[in-house]
Amino acid sequence: MPAERTGWPVGFGRDPAERRAVLVLSALRGQRPADLLALAREEGTAVACLAAIREGRAGSELDVRFSRSLDAARIDGELRSCGARLVVWGSREYPPQLEHLRDPPGWLFVRGASPPIQSGTIAVVGARNCSDLGRELARSFGRELAAAGAVIVSGAARGIDAAAHEGALDVGGRTVAVLGCGIDLAYPPGSRGLLRRIEQEGTIVSEYPPGVPAEPQRFPARNRIIAGLCAALVVVEGRERSGSLISARHALEHGRDVYAVPGAVSNPLSAAPHALIRDGAGLIRHVEDLLSDLELARVLGPAPPPVLTLVEQAALDAMTGPVLPETVARALGVTVAEVVPLLMQLELKGLVRSSGGRFEPRLPLGA
Amino acid sequence: MYGRVSGVTIVGVRGHPVVVEAHIGRGLPSVSFTGLPGAAVHDARDRIRPAVESSGLEWPLRRIVVNLSPGNLRKDGPGLDLPVTMGVLAASAQVPVERLGRYAFFGELALEGSLIPTPGVLSASIAAASAGLAGIVVPEANAGEAALVEDLHVVGAPALADVVAFLRGRWEPGTAERRPSPAPAHQVDFAEVRGQAQARRALEVAAAGGHNVLLMGSPGAGKTMLARRLATVLPTLSRSEALEVTQLHSVAGILPGGGLVAARPFRAPHHSISLPAMLGGGSGFVRPGEVSMAHHGVLFLDELNEFRRDALEALRQPLEDGHVVVTRVAGTVEFPARFTLVAAANPCPCGYEGDPRRQCSCITHRVEVYRQKLSGPLLDRIDIRLSVPRLSRRELLEEEPGEASEAIRRRVEEAREVQRHRYAELGYPCNAQLPGPLARRLARVSDPARDLLARAVDTLALTGRGFDRAIKVARTVADLAGAAEVGSDHVAEALSYRMDVAGGGLARAG
Repeated sequence: MPAERTGWPVGFGRDPAERRAVLVLSALRGQRPADLLALAREEGTAVACLAAIREGRAGSELDVRFSRSLDAARIDGELRSCGARLVVWGSREYPPQLEHLRDPPGWLFVRGASPPIQSGTIAVVGARNCSDLGRELARSFGRELAAAGAVIVSGAARGIDAAAHEGALDVGGRTVAVLGCGIDLAYPPGSRGLLRRIEQEGTIVSEYPPGVPAEPQRFPARNRIIAGLCAALVVVEGRERSGSLISARHALEHGRDVYAVPGAVSNPLSAAPHALIRDGAGLIRHVEDLLSDLELARVLGPAPPPVLTLVEQAALDAMTGPVLPETVARALGVTVAEVVPLLMQLELKGLVRSSGGRFEPRLPLGA
Repeated sequence: MYGRVSGVTIVGVRGHPVVVEAHIGRGLPSVSFTGLPGAAVHDARDRIRPAVESSGLEWPLRRIVVNLSPGNLRKDGPGLDLPVTMGVLAASAQVPVERLGRYAFFGELALEGSLIPTPGVLSASIAAASAGLAGIVVPEANAGEAALVEDLHVVGAPALADVVAFLRGRWEPGTAERRPSPAPAHQVDFAEVRGQAQARRALEVAAAGGHNVLLMGSPGAGKTMLARRLATVLPTLSRSEALEVTQLHSVAGILPGGGLVAARPFRAPHHSISLPAMLGGGSGFVRPGEVSMAHHGVLFLDELNEFRRDALEALRQPLEDGHVVVTRVAGTVEFPARFTLVAAANPCPCGYEGDPRRQCSCITHRVEVYRQKLSGPLLDRIDIRLSVPRLSRRELLEEEPGEASEAIRRRVEEAREVQRHRYAELGYPCNAQLPGPLARRLARVSDPARDLLARAVDTLALTGRGFDRAIKVARTVADLAGAAEVGSDHVAEALSYRMDVAGGGLARAG
């Protein structure tokens, strides 16, 4: 049967014994998802797979030994204590759009709401070490798209990922974080607060049971789930050979739309988006491009123009890029001691950003 | 065959009177010391005999016992060479005793009998005056320093022979001139700084409120240049402050000529500095460390991250209490150490994070580790934190040279006067030293300014300590402006100085 060839065997992980076997299988470190999938097709059930590994007929030597020491009840307890649940292949909560991946996950651990359906799910990904501008863009994409009803998927990493999640949370929208580590962990550690909010207002998803540390080889596998969940993927910033390119490749393979935000050709953070655009990805200049391409209606009106005094407006007009406070002071004909509080007020209003002793206007929200 | 002479030993920064007794008795020629002599005093045994002989005097070839009292105080330092020698000369009846009893003696001898400049003369002179002696005999090079003490007859003698001639009534020293304290002669001035208006302003605020400063910026941004000039805008030293500084520098042996130190000190120890060199120490004779040499001035720590952890941790006590206590086997010594700290650091390991014209090559993780090293208890005591941008040539050419230090200092002094007045009953000299709760109570923050602060707590994720720092700095800004109430502009300016080191620039949330 064709369905059998592309997915996990019917009934895999469905009854309690199967579920226990899946818990143990999920904790094995030596198995690539594809290897386990091949084994499952041969053996037919999770229980049989586990027996094969425990008897030493499959899996690495380490897994054979490790699988004998693992106890499903303990993993189950850990799951419960971190508020996560197991969602197996073919169950009601299992996102159908993942079923057609080349190597779909046989199970997911989930915290928070159920994983989203594909329609209206949009991934926003990019560099961890991103620019301030990239961060603002990702946040405003997250905000606008979520307000228009889209679900924002990303990887909860630092930088672009976090900004996209935060944008969605800003407007009370839905967002899904796909982790590359155990379902109970926060990686990077700085994302703990963000993940707590996502758990309450959205969904956290991982292929890994509690306690599995974040390791580089797991991130590409995580990226395939991000790409698999979404209908469209937006790359905001990324260096050459970045993980965003892997996500985009997965997305293309499975027929998702890919979009990229261009930048200066000399900017190393624009290398990945530019490569994607050359290969045919949609070019995104601002959030309107995305909304119209995805046929989403704009919900957030353009941000109301902030109430500015004449002096504040003049100060904003004087900033043509990152400038020194004396440049602004000179344009306004005031002293630096007078212009510093003014710039700080603008910064508190979210209109100006300071970095390294220079000031520049921020992207108006919603533009 | 007995002689008795007054000398002084230096403990920490203070002089203690020492009575030197010498007895010449029968026995094989020898010199022995009693009364807790230190290593430098033991050295004197071999040094003073050649000095005596080359001055045309006679060394008694008998058994000499020198006793130093009080017996419970460890005596050290080369300044005891002269009193010990005079004791021996008195015991051997080579000098008359009339004048001998009315003077203290302090100075190090060279083998050929000359008196060489000795650290600690000012402290010794103060001790001599308070011990009720009429005068002090010191090396000629130190006479100006000794003359700072009022009502003390200072005899600056070039050599041992002159001291003997003076006691015999055959030589009188010229009156050591008591130099009027000269106008502070700084080698640098803010007028030489082009651009960096925000940093200049921040340093003015720092000087006005006594706040410590952290400057972050790329290599070549001018952090050192700016820090060096902070000392030039601090209020002029009062006479008592100048005496303290002179005394410390004298003990440390870094006093340039005689006379009062008029300029605020600027000390910039290298980051490889050891803990004793930072705080004070050394075996035997305890020398003041960099924190004390920077007393009433500026301690500049460039490349803050590179300093040894223990050296930075050790700064907490002086930053909090204004003095350091050095503990040695022989006892504890306290040095004053009230300074303004200026720390400088690169924004990241490569130094170019946030520089618009050069790409930072650091990975995020390394930047975070680097910044974490900066945080901690030391940072809590730094109220003003500022990014110093590296200027392009065009930006540099656009800028006029700045205001002269003199003009800035006048404003600073006025602001300090306001603070002195306000805290007169509490005993705090300036805003920076006020404890947080007191600062919140006394700052007189206007309602709009309070709203702004409340907004900053949300938008900038201001912590409790950050809040207190912002209030103190805002109070200083208001004092500079001559305002009784802290207004919202003052708060806004203060908020611009609380760059969050751990998080990069200002709050990125928003």
